[in-house]
Amino acid sequence: MIAEIGHYALALALGVSVIQALVPFWGVVRQDRALASVGSSAALTSFGLVALSFLALVASYVRSDFSVANVVANSHSTQPLIFKFTSVWGNHEGSMLLWVLILTLFGALVALSRNSLPPRLRAGALAVQGLVAVAFLAFVLFTSNPFQRLSPAPAEGQDLNPILQDLGLAIHPPLLYIGYVGFSITYAFAVAALIDGRIDAMWARAVRPWTLLAWIFLTLGIAMGSYWAYYELGWGGWWFWDPVENASFMPWLAGTALIHSTVVMEKRDSLKVWTILLAILTFSLSLLGTFIVRSGVLTSVHSFASDPARGVFILLILVFFVGGSLTLFAWRAPLLRQGGLFAPISRESALVVNNVFLATACATVFVGTLYPLVLELLTGAKISVGAPFYNATFVPVMVPLLLILPIGQSLAWKRGDLLGAAQRNAAAFGLALLAALALIAFTQGGPVLAPLGIGLGLFLVLSAVFDLGERIVTRASGWRAVLSRAKGLPRSAWGTAFAHAGVGLSIIGIAAAAWSSEAIAVLKPGERLTSGRYTVVLESVTPRTGPNFRAEVARFQLFFGGRELESIEASKRIYTARGMPTTEAGIRTHGLSQAYVSLGEAQDGGVAVRLYDKPLILLIWIGALVMALGGGLSLTDRRFRLAAPRRAAPVAAQAQPAE
Amino acid sequence: MMLWAILAAMTGAAIFALLWPLSHGRTEGFADVADARSLYRSQLKEIDRDLARNLIGVGEAEAARAEAARRLLRAANDEERPAGETEPSLRRRRASSALMLSVVPLFALLVYGLYGSPDLPDQPLAARLEKAGPHQDFAIILARMEAHLAANPADARGWSLLAPIYLRQGRFDEAAKAFAAAVRYGKPDTDLLAGLGEARILEAGGVVTADARDALAEAVKLDPKNARARYYLAIAKEQDGDGEAAVASLQQLLADAPPEADWTASVRARIEQIQGDAGRKAVAALPEAERQQAIRGMVDGLAARLAEGGGTLPEWTRLIRARSVLGDKPAALAAVKTARERLAQDAAALAAIDALANELALKETAP
Amino acid sequence: MSVAQPAKPLSAKPLPAKRRMTRKQHRLILIAAAGAVLFFAAGLVLFAMRDSIVFFYGPTEIVQKGVAPGTRMRLGGLVETGSVQRGPDQRVSFGVTDGTSSVTVSYKGLLPDLFREGQGVVTEGVFEGAGRFRADSVLAKHDENYMPREVADALKKQGHWEPGGAYAPPAAKP
Repeated sequence: MIAEIGHYALALALGVSVIQALVPFWGVVRQDRALASVGSSAALTSFGLVALSFLALVASYVRSDFSVANVVANSHSTQPLIFKFTSVWGNHEGSMLLWVLILTLFGALVALSRNSLPPRLRAGALAVQGLVAVAFLAFVLFTSNPFQRLSPAPAEGQDLNPILQDLGLAIHPPLLYIGYVGFSITYAFAVAALIDGRIDAMWARAVRPWTLLAWIFLTLGIAMGSYWAYYELGWGGWWFWDPVENASFMPWLAGTALIHSTVVMEKRDSLKVWTILLAILTFSLSLLGTFIVRSGVLTSVHSFASDPARGVFILLILVFFVGGSLTLFAWRAPLLRQGGLFAPISRESALVVNNVFLATACATVFVGTLYPLVLELLTGAKISVGAPFYNATFVPVMVPLLLILPIGQSLAWKRGDLLGAAQRNAAAFGLALLAALALIAFTQGGPVLAPLGIGLGLFLVLSAVFDLGERIVTRASGWRAVLSRAKGLPRSAWGTAFAHAGVGLSIIGIAAAAWSSEAIAVLKPGERLTSGRYTVVLESVTPRTGPNFRAEVARFQLFFGGRELESIEASKRIYTARGMPTTEAGIRTHGLSQAYVSLGEAQDGGVAVRLYDKPLILLIWIGALVMALGGGLSLTDRRFRLAAPRRAAPVAAQAQPAE
Repeated sequence: MMLWAILAAMTGAAIFALLWPLSHGRTEGFADVADARSLYRSQLKEIDRDLARNLIGVGEAEAARAEAARRLLRAANDEERPAGETEPSLRRRRASSALMLSVVPLFALLVYGLYGSPDLPDQPLAARLEKAGPHQDFAIILARMEAHLAANPADARGWSLLAPIYLRQGRFDEAAKAFAAAVRYGKPDTDLLAGLGEARILEAGGVVTADARDALAEAVKLDPKNARARYYLAIAKEQDGDGEAAVASLQQLLADAPPEADWTASVRARIEQIQGDAGRKAVAALPEAERQQAIRGMVDGLAARLAEGGGTLPEWTRLIRARSVLGDKPAALAAVKTARERLAQDAAALAAIDALANELALKETAP
Repeated sequence: MSVAQPAKPLSAKPLPAKRRMTRKQHRLILIAAAGAVLFFAAGLVLFAMRDSIVFFYGPTEIVQKGVAPGTRMRLGGLVETGSVQRGPDQRVSFGVTDGTSSVTVSYKGLLPDLFREGQGVVTEGVFEGAGRFRADSVLAKHDENYMPREVADALKKQGHWEPGGAYAPPAAKP
């Protein structure tokens, strides 16, 4: 009965979403506030219903109810409880239900942020959101129904794909989806504003917290996914330019641009056309990502069983929402009024430059991701576009952007002083350059670009720190004054500094990969293998039994320059239900670096062992965390609260439950 | 019935939630001016703050203030037309109420009617496991045992119960593991060891591997009378090519058999089969060169038959062994290769062939 | 370059001609800058398209298209049964076939978890001519039902592939 209640709740949510798409829209057109306020109650109701439906599916999984086809196909009664739980979204149907759940969650949050949004904008946005929800609820119900039943129920399930049986999976998709789907709000705001014809600074202020929120989660989701691939796939790679990764990276780039352009729109009321377009494009890229991942046009870890009907359905959704909004944009955008002025050398212009570069970078990724598809469609030739392509296109576009970032960061609003800004960053630049040169000298004969990359990362970190320092520390003032100045500094300034420093940290981590090393050998107990600064000695290989797998566990002593560290374990698992092997890498964190051991197959009485030395690799993900922290700080800025003085809770505070 | 009551209640609640704002909402138009004003005030404050921190020039700050003020004026001018009259507003509300009352249940019932299975009860694992009784699904008992052992992997008794079931189901690989676990965690037990040996033999497609032999030897050491272990040890002798010793062992086994034993018939059949292999006997009596010739002839005959197609795992095993024993490595390799192709669908057989190839050190040298 | 005007009073007088000019100029500068960046990126993309894109072939296509030795490419197909040979130093060679032709791949390194004879595989490396291929990476497939799409297509062309490996639920409704 639980499964049937969940199924019905989903069907009911479809009906409620239809109302959500129609009635508030009518209210906005007719200036009828009562009709418009139906949007809020519909959004809350449909969230409640989808949440109920999701809980029903969770209950079916946790209780191993094998009369539900989806549960049979993706879980096993011996799975640990946590993985029964995460299996819910470890498959196509369940993950689409999660998608819809988060979509309606955002609708509910918008409905609740009663006082920080202009009511017309809210009603319009909720109507657009309702339309998106209708499309995706129909997709779930008609093509990917997780509540299909089986009778008689099989005695045992087929287990979840073993590489998905991991805590990383528990966190990665929900984070990523909150990011992906969060941009549906900015999209809804943009379309609502286009219909309504009121696009101004207030719009930017209303949209900005939502953009930030989505961006934070997308950042965390991408970082988590990358770390998961790093430790789970067993070959130490953390980014593959896989189409599916690109699918989440493109909205991130566009979203990053959007965050910056809304600042200009909010402050100067200009750049409106571009910002609206960007808001539409960001969610369009999210939809494109969903299409790429879910339709099976591309295969990867993420494409669960694919079905052409689904692909066509998502393609229709994509064409409708992207095409529809762009048409609306072409029709209404020319009517927008001019905004405030700023000089070519100013913080605003710097943000425009940032947008140009980010959009271009996004376009290169877009070309690299879709070109193979288009080419195959046209000529039938199959090609693969991998890291070399992106190294030759994406990287050269990003490097100038990052180089001028600190200068833009210290320019004044409206009209800036380029020389002054350059001087202010001279110290950071000098130090970073010095560090890079020292590194080149120190690692003679080593890679040359990598030290420059480290220098670039260092430049970003130092300039962010110096920029903060300059604002807080003044000569002849005690630490008390410093502290009070630090408190007085707006949160958004802290956020900017953190986010930019985070980018720098990630770049240092990425550049340091040039010094990573790899060694492979077949080891028998007692034998050793050295890679970079680390040496392992194989101690033993022992069998072990897990709840739903068997494993061969290899234990290694780990040495770092002759000093013994804590020992390390790597294993190879066979998941019994599917008879499928996985590699569990052994990773020992040592400072910011990691030693990474993975096992190959047993041969000649020994076992094949791969050992990596990954210097400073943790910085890649720490950088992402710092970026997200920066976003969070910006989100708590007073500015977003000031928009609604003496009224109830701020947007940021209400957005909290999303976490 | 219960389900339909719940579904009806859900529908009612959803429609009620949708109707609520229509009866309680305000009818007047939107007033966004207050928001525009607050935005304007906060922007002025921000400009002052930026000015204080030298983030904007003095002149630019003035210009920015002017721009913000213009925006406020514009927002005030944009103010909406007066709210709609009562009559159409009321009509609109009635129309949208009707829409809600019709659309929501219609969509829900239509979609659910198409895809739902309201008559199907939940069947969680726990409930199915508890449904005890003589007609209990065997697979479920098994699932329960597996779940129990997954939680208590050191339960030797559980393993010793599960292992023979696996063996009977033909899941030799798992049977061998279960027997091994039972042996590892329990007291030394001759029957379990014999079972382990048997499972390993069956896993290897009938070949008595070194592992299996170890287990059998252990079993016989614990109980010299263990019939099953002795039987397979005899088979091992036969596979080693010592048919006479095998027959002797089996006859000894028969002699020791208790009168009520039901396996004597199959042992006798086996003895006859070994002895009845007249060719072998004759061949054994031939002089060395001719004997080789004759064996080769027999093996070639087998190979020719197998080359035509088909072949079971034991047949292939025999051929590969024979080729290898005769020192014809290329032919043995070829046999391994063909066997792999023929038995490609059978993963267990493939594994057995691989194990055999390993055992006989049949590895292709790199070209 | 200073274009911003000094403070204006609140009254919304029509903007002076000079300011309209600067607005236009300003926009032109922006458009020119954006154009330059886009142009630069387009150049990079075209350049990269020529050099860093790898074609995918099946064994039969290599023969048919007469791929020149030394070409970098991806090769996909089924691992030929009984063809895997392991040498010292993690060297391994195996045949990749689509049922019609076959190419011998040599590789040094650990094979992915799911590398098995008779299963689909995608390798990337250099075609050495005469049916030999030196791979520098062998791609893992992540699921026992997962068939690299390129491989599936190549095999379909050769008539060697029936779909339906994935789990298809039995009759969904009672």
